[in-house]
Amino acid sequence: MPTKKTTPDFILMIITFSLLCVGLIMVYSASAVWAEYKFDDSFFFAKRQMLFAGVGIMAMFFIMNIDYWTWRTWSKLILIICFVLLVLVLIPGIGNVRNGSRSWIGVGAFSVQPSEFMKLAMIAFLAKFLSVNQKLITSFKKGLGPALLLVFTAFGMIMLQPDLGTGTVMVGTCVVMIFIAGARVSHFAALGLLGAAGFVGLILSAPYRIKRITSFLDPWEDPLGSGFQIIQSLYAIGPGGLFGLGLGQSRQKFFYLPEPQTDFIFAILAEELGFIGGSFVLLLFSLLLWRGIRIALGAPDLYGSFLAVGIVAMIAIQVMINIGVVIGLMPVTGITLPFLSYGGSSLTLMLMAVGVLLNISRYSRY
Amino acid sequence: MRVSNVTVRKRLTLVLLVGILVFFIIDIRLGYVQFILGNELTGKARDSWSRNIPFEPKRGEIVDKNGVPLATNISAPTVYVVPRQVEDPEKTAEALSASLNMQKEKAYEYVTKNSSIVRINEGRKISHEKAKEVRALELKGVYIGEDSKRHYPFGSYLSHVLGFAGIDNQGLMGLELFYDKELSGSEGSVKFYANAKGQRMNDMADDYQPPENGYDLRLTIDSKVQTIIERELDIAEAKYDPDGLIAIAMDPNNGEILAMSSRPGFDPANFQNVPQEVYNRNLPVWSTYEPGSTFKIITLAAALEEGKVDLENDQFHDPGHVEVGGSRLRCWKKGGHGTQNFLEVVQNSCNPGFVELGERLGKETLFKYIKDFGFGQKTGIDLQGEGKGIMFNLERVGPVEQATTAFGQGVSVTPIQQVTAVAAAVNGGILYTPYIAKELIDPRTGQVVMSKNPEEKRRVISEETSKKIRYTLESVVAQGTGKNAFVESYRVGGKTGTAQKAKDGRYLENNHIVSFIGFAPADDPQIVVYIAVDNPKGTVQFGGVVAAPIVGNIMEDSLRALGVAPRKDQIEKELTWLDTPMMEVPDLIGMEKKELQQQLINLRLDVSGEGNTVVKQAPSPGTKIKEGSIIRIYMNEGD
Repeated sequence: MPTKKTTPDFILMIITFSLLCVGLIMVYSASAVWAEYKFDDSFFFAKRQMLFAGVGIMAMFFIMNIDYWTWRTWSKLILIICFVLLVLVLIPGIGNVRNGSRSWIGVGAFSVQPSEFMKLAMIAFLAKFLSVNQKLITSFKKGLGPALLLVFTAFGMIMLQPDLGTGTVMVGTCVVMIFIAGARVSHFAALGLLGAAGFVGLILSAPYRIKRITSFLDPWEDPLGSGFQIIQSLYAIGPGGLFGLGLGQSRQKFFYLPEPQTDFIFAILAEELGFIGGSFVLLLFSLLLWRGIRIALGAPDLYGSFLAVGIVAMIAIQVMINIGVVIGLMPVTGITLPFLSYGGSSLTLMLMAVGVLLNISRYSRY
Repeated sequence: MRVSNVTVRKRLTLVLLVGILVFFIIDIRLGYVQFILGNELTGKARDSWSRNIPFEPKRGEIVDKNGVPLATNISAPTVYVVPRQVEDPEKTAEALSASLNMQKEKAYEYVTKNSSIVRINEGRKISHEKAKEVRALELKGVYIGEDSKRHYPFGSYLSHVLGFAGIDNQGLMGLELFYDKELSGSEGSVKFYANAKGQRMNDMADDYQPPENGYDLRLTIDSKVQTIIERELDIAEAKYDPDGLIAIAMDPNNGEILAMSSRPGFDPANFQNVPQEVYNRNLPVWSTYEPGSTFKIITLAAALEEGKVDLENDQFHDPGHVEVGGSRLRCWKKGGHGTQNFLEVVQNSCNPGFVELGERLGKETLFKYIKDFGFGQKTGIDLQGEGKGIMFNLERVGPVEQATTAFGQGVSVTPIQQVTAVAAAVNGGILYTPYIAKELIDPRTGQVVMSKNPEEKRRVISEETSKKIRYTLESVVAQGTGKNAFVESYRVGGKTGTAQKAKDGRYLENNHIVSFIGFAPADDPQIVVYIAVDNPKGTVQFGGVVAAPIVGNIMEDSLRALGVAPRKDQIEKELTWLDTPMMEVPDLIGMEKKELQQQLINLRLDVSGEGNTVVKQAPSPGTKIKEGSIIRIYMNEGD
């Protein structure tokens, strides 16, 4: 149990608020045309995002003052609840389908994605598991094996929706945590080989798959189908140049890029604010990563350290995948850009996660 | 308490570094997309943002050799709709349907079509008044584009040669089709930038790409000669009510077509009003039929070139028929022409005489010349739908086939083949490829981008032989069967032709294609004119009677129009009972009544005045008039 509280990491807070500000401005700029067209109110999305940000910031400050050991205590229960929710969401009538995935529970604006909660619950629980069993992590049977079994069970359930983006982020985050905890590199190598072998096997059994996976490399092969979003995204980024077309001057937001305020908001940002703007956002995320790792390094115990690295890894991986998709480095997966994309559930959860991080920073010593 | 586990600390640092590295890579890729791919992506993006309003190019004009326009354009507005800019489809459709005379449902379909730009078919090439009316409606999303419509200022004149263009200004027939690519030019456009809903993005300037107009086409046609020919065909049509008429005029010295026409004709602006076979058969190059006696020129040329005949000194007796291979071929003249030299054989168009010439040549030589003169193959004129004609297969030519071929029966040729062959026979012996398009001119610069030169195919006969043929054929007009084509002091030469029409392998009774091919002046031919009249009614069906006078009329006016000087020496016309002799008007002034009666055996007088002495007369003394003409005199009291 940590003892003495100090001030939280203000730099992290500033970074978070900076990202939030850029996000609010970009959500407005990207969504104004679409919002005007659909709701006769160019501020429709911006107003809501502002509300979500307010709620999120309050939650962040609230959680910042909740001792992170609380999560250790309740993590098992939370995880079980999340598993139940993951089962429930698959049942038609309870779970709602959006964009082809049955991922949502609830009514209207009060809908939530259980998989998003699962991400955090898994981090909280895995941190506990790893900190308790840290000595055993080098053993496949007693440490690594059970951990992976848990993670991939959750992944499998998420894939039933299916929600590849969230599932990938969760698995990636967990792998980073397990790696930090000290799992053997040879185990990772073996697992990596196994994964590669399975991958090759899948491709050999059906060669068309490789095309599906690599189609993002040449989106013009199917410009109206699988390549459509990538092409429209590149049409936004390309003309941006060094300084961009200027805030509010995007052309691709004029109905070319579908729902530009969500997953592809970084494309509009790069179009309007150019390479400078895009690099600035990437710099902010790098700083966030640095502060997060720093908190992990200074955490008073292994649980805090693992919890911190889990949160920061989740944010960083999500950023990497989202921007990787937008600039055509990765196939489209459909996840949001933390702090910037429009979406209440994503934004409040991210701010709550930062709240946890800030709480850990109050006990850190460097 | 700090995390003291060394592995954990090391690995945390490693994760931080790897994380930063990945962000860095992402940043590099961002820069690559924006700087290296930027231009290409921007271009593609602009294409995806832009919408085109097409601008049709102006189709090239067709002019005659002196620049007289034969096919031009008149501007015709066309209505376009950009459905996404239409604010009130219901109202717009109603307004458009009212002013463009279409159903409202149809109009509504146009203005709501899921397409960036729609051309309203009912609003194509409308009048300027209509366009003004539509413009006055001030409908959002409705545009008037400038289109052009083909216009043929002379109407049906030269219509088979010119052909016509369709609603899209695409050449459908004749020269319009043959030179469609050159006349067409390329489309231009106005490009405006639009969002994905098709609404105009106001902050981006429109691009205008001007259309490239088509080249103007200058023909070898001389509209003056063409006009004369059209006139003569109209007269002949009224006079003989024929099944068809064909006329070609060519410059024998280079193969340039000066005029070409046929009946039944049509108006290119309303080509739909006539049956398809009227407008898509250009008879002067399409039709094939037995040439009849005009073909004898070829036999004559071959015999002269091969030295098989001495026209003045070789004698021939025509009993009215000739026995060939056991069958009897008859001369057109019952009882025959009797004894004559070969010049008279040609003048009389005596069939047995030409059978004799054919025999002297032998089938190989005769058919070699026929082939050399271009029969049995396309002339290569730049018009569509040219026929080839049919020759006997040499292996199957027996004495009968050889004999009939020698006087122009049993073979099938096109009018244009005959004209080019005769041109070669009289121009000094060179066979030219006939052509009708002289130059393509870029209308912007006025520069000639394509110019066709006369194309010599081969020498067929010698200069010397050609000269003999000219003399012989001039004598045919002056003294033989072609007298009706005679033109005072223009030295017309030529040959008649009368061919029976065959149907289902049998000759038709009293149904002939009568023709005449003439050239002038005989000392240096400037024009070859061919006329064929298909089944003339109410006349004897002889080429010399029906076709020769038409050629004579065309010759007289055309030579004058072409500025050819009249000649002094000519073979004088031999008079027949049909011709009234000419005489000089005597000087009657000062004569008294008594004296007049002795003087004027062949003239009639129209006397006025009460006196006894002639004081005035008209026409004046020395004028040439026909015998039997009236002379007006005015009498006065003598002193």
